[in-house]
Amino acid sequence: MRRDFKRQISSLSQIFSFVSEILTMYEVNEVNSFSINLAIEELFTNIVKYNRNSHSDITIEIEKEGRNLKVNLIDHGGDEFDVTKTQEVDVTRRLEERKVGGLGLHLVKKMVDNLEYRYANGESRITFTKNLE
Amino acid sequence: MFNAKILDTGEIVFAGRLDASQVDVAEKLLEEVTTSRTLNFKELEYISSAGLGILLAHQKRLKETGHAMRLVNLNKHVKDIFILTGFDHIFKIE
Repeated sequence: MRRDFKRQISSLSQIFSFVSEILTMYEVNEVNSFSINLAIEELFTNIVKYNRNSHSDITIEIEKEGRNLKVNLIDHGGDEFDVTKTQEVDVTRRLEERKVGGLGLHLVKKMVDNLEYRYANGESRITFTKNLE
Repeated sequence: MFNAKILDTGEIVFAGRLDASQVDVAEKLLEEVTTSRTLNFKELEYISSAGLGILLAHQKRLKETGHAMRLVNLNKHVKDIFILTGFDHIFKIE
């Protein structure tokens, strides 16, 4: 299933409804649903925050492939930004040294099974899979 | 939907889903906090990095004056988020 969403943080409620419909259809359990919702939110908000020059909609595609749920987030405009190559977050640092930046992608990498990024012809495509078993 | 309120006892209650579109609600409430508080997450179903960011900023601010937020009644998913980000060392969690 595929749907386009406006490039704004307030799209999140529509995104969660769309995702919920699909996860219910595939009978995805609560633990995996939490991870999938979180990964989609973090990747979507990342695109919105860091590609401010683009105004095009962002496409989300979700499909089941065997035991895996495969999710694509497609940014039809904006700059190249490889989400798989961000700096690791040191989660052992003390409160005074902790920063907010990078936490979202850190969580995505921990919660999905595979994360890929492709950029071609001005289009960014982020793909993650989640094993549903 | 996300809701936040301060009870007469001073305890802060978060309920619902704290995602990036709802952080202003949490921010507005936490801005008023100037002393140590308990945050009750019993009805908090979901939190993402946007919510963690707000909590981190206010924990830092409170620590400067010797105060802190303590978190109670986290559901398993929310607690996992705190552990995966090392926030279980930044907040006292019960």
